[in-house]
Amino acid sequence: MATNRAPRTSSPPAPSAGPWDFLAERWELVTLAVLAIAPLVIPALGGALGGQVTNLFIYCILALALNVMVGYTGLVHLGIASFFGIGAYCLAILTVPMYPFQIGFLAAAVIAVLVTAGTGLALGAPTLRLRGDYLAIVTLGFGEVVKVTLRNLEQITGGMKGLNPVPPPGAGVTLAGIDLGKEFAIDPRWFYYLALLSLAGVVLAMRRLENSRLGRALVAVREDELAAQAMGISATKVKLSAFAMSSAVAGLAGCLYAASLSTTADPNAYDFNRSIMVLCAVILGGLGSIPGTLLGVAILVGFDTVLAPWADSWIQQMNINPKGLSYLSFSGWRLAIFGVALVLVMRYRPEGLIPSRRLAAELHEGGAGS
Amino acid sequence: MNENAGPAGTPLLHVDRVTVRFGGLVAVSELDLDVPEGSIISLIGPNGAGKTTAFNCVSGIYAPSSGSVRFRGKRLERAFTQGTILRALAVGLLTGLLFAAAAVDVDRLWMAVVKRGMITGEPFTMAGAMERLRGYFRSELAIDQMAGKWRVVSADGSDVLAIKRDLGEAKLVRDALQAKVTARRTGPGTIPDATDLNQRDIGAAPSVVLPPVKEEVLDRLAAGKSRIRWRGWLGLFSGMLLGIAGTLAVWQRGRRSPHVVARAGISRTFQNIRLFSSMSVLENVLVGLDRTIPGGVFSMLLRTPKNRRDEAEARIKARAALDFVGLSGDANRIAGELPYGDQRRLEIARALATGAKLILLDEPAAGMNPSEAGDLAGLVERIRDRGVTVLLIEHHMNVVMRVSDRIAVLDHGTKIAEGTPAEVRRDEKVIEAYLGGEG
Repeated sequence: MATNRAPRTSSPPAPSAGPWDFLAERWELVTLAVLAIAPLVIPALGGALGGQVTNLFIYCILALALNVMVGYTGLVHLGIASFFGIGAYCLAILTVPMYPFQIGFLAAAVIAVLVTAGTGLALGAPTLRLRGDYLAIVTLGFGEVVKVTLRNLEQITGGMKGLNPVPPPGAGVTLAGIDLGKEFAIDPRWFYYLALLSLAGVVLAMRRLENSRLGRALVAVREDELAAQAMGISATKVKLSAFAMSSAVAGLAGCLYAASLSTTADPNAYDFNRSIMVLCAVILGGLGSIPGTLLGVAILVGFDTVLAPWADSWIQQMNINPKGLSYLSFSGWRLAIFGVALVLVMRYRPEGLIPSRRLAAELHEGGAGS
Repeated sequence: MNENAGPAGTPLLHVDRVTVRFGGLVAVSELDLDVPEGSIISLIGPNGAGKTTAFNCVSGIYAPSSGSVRFRGKRLERAFTQGTILRALAVGLLTGLLFAAAAVDVDRLWMAVVKRGMITGEPFTMAGAMERLRGYFRSELAIDQMAGKWRVVSADGSDVLAIKRDLGEAKLVRDALQAKVTARRTGPGTIPDATDLNQRDIGAAPSVVLPPVKEEVLDRLAAGKSRIRWRGWLGLFSGMLLGIAGTLAVWQRGRRSPHVVARAGISRTFQNIRLFSSMSVLENVLVGLDRTIPGGVFSMLLRTPKNRRDEAEARIKARAALDFVGLSGDANRIAGELPYGDQRRLEIARALATGAKLILLDEPAAGMNPSEAGDLAGLVERIRDRGVTVLLIEHHMNVVMRVSDRIAVLDHGTKIAEGTPAEVRRDEKVIEAYLGGEG
């Protein structure tokens, strides 16, 4: 009888000991603490570098949004930047002085997030029956449609000029004698903390999602849609939730982006390039893995927006390249380095730099043998 | 045996003359099968007899070409409810509004309603916005600003009729020109309507110097009065039609989905094991429990105390289900790493976790040695003892003969025999199907 069998001893998780294990287990708290203290210690974060790091945080939020679709649910999404853009434009329309709404940042951000979630549902509902490549094409097309629409609705979105100036968060709000709007406009560290706080919130939400009923349903649908349905899970509803959550978080990132730049920039800022950049970051870091996604963004976007300009200015200062030859400037090699890095990762760590436990198991299934 | 039993005399599952065709191939032909509550019924037959097709038909993966499957006397289809209609209407309204927005040119509408409200320096009011909205749909002349001067323009901004330095003067010119356009509409060949009769300044043209405006421009403005309105209605109606029809069509196609069947209380395992192989063993069972865990997205995100309790409870239930099939020691292993036989047990635990009243087991003992198959037969009996009815496909005759209350034999899609194990064992046709007839 089955009940009489001795329970097989499963390998229990290794007892944690030593500071490195502590770091590995509590990486979020440690990283959060370091990032929270950093601006107080490093004065450079009060300048242009602070803005760049804020940008990095916003990209992290965007990548986590994409991770819900691509990582957890396994739906290829090539148009995440369009939701980023919709969020940014929604916030701008609701806050810029040229329109009569001019509600505060917080209320506008809430509405923008709801609108992007709704748009995600509207895109998801008719396309859910598509799989794999077909969904990728649809989302790619949607990204282009949104970009062109934003450009052509000139009266609403300002066309190629974009909408500006988007007032800083807390404009007109005075808290304990501090004019928040002014502080946000002067000191980039305010934005740094706002973006960091938002990122921490999103990471927390993603952690909870992973260990919840909905998170399990997402992974179940990715692994075997039919089996998931045979368990009574409505694949349609689960995928729609993934669409809505992903779009909402991308919309939040868009709000922060527009507010931190104080403009929506032109619609070309929300094109395919941005989508693919974020997708690359998620794949490089590890599909379905939160620390992986964050690391992927830190490497790819950090390389692009922090390291490359810094290296360029260093080369300029050292007078190595007086004639301005493109192959002697660092950014001339930018895309080549990018490509080689991706190829190397795909060759040696196809599951990403920090793979999720679940996906690593899936990819090594053939080798492990059961 | 069970408090949820259907009307007396109704079997739990009633398969009535089900035929499944794939193109010209008949996989299952006129299958009749009754599964009484609390029994173990086996479906046996040589390979390719249509057993798994019959299973797929019951579990909603295929729709039968003809015939019906009833569970507790009900068809396993999503019912047409008020919610279906409401959803179709909501989607229809959304697509309608989207189409209407495109048809009336939402960009110019925005300019007319929002932007023109911001240029005169007057405070932006809802009433003013509604007034301008009405004006846009009636193609009334409006005031616009460019390079510091006030312009009298057509509603969509494409015709500029006058340019003035002074806002007040521009407003007077607008009213006078509007009166002229309206008068033209009430002239010969046109039909006045209610909106023309309550025009503000009709007949009382103020004493301003009107700029020269070409007659044909006025004609065009008068003729185009209701064009935007009609475009809007057309967009709204066509969009609604498309949205409602589309939603209903999708609903119709998704009527017989496996999840609808699963929610009705039928669960199954698969011939080729379909576990969520990268999830842990416990998580696999938790997915099975999904429908029984209450709470939505927000309680999940806020991790309310109730949400924690529900999760903890689900974990206890999942461990109990693992205990039941004898996998309690493997809860934290990755499902794909389990040995083959244990994967089959895990599939059974996952299917039981859904709280199903009928469980379909598709070759649960495949690839097992006789002793493991014996264990499995015991497990099947214990499932029945829990009050769960079992429909079984199996090739291990020892298992089938030991556990079945009745056995149905399929060959080439047709049921050739049905009866107790002893009857089936003696049946001529069954022996022929398995061993081959003569000639």
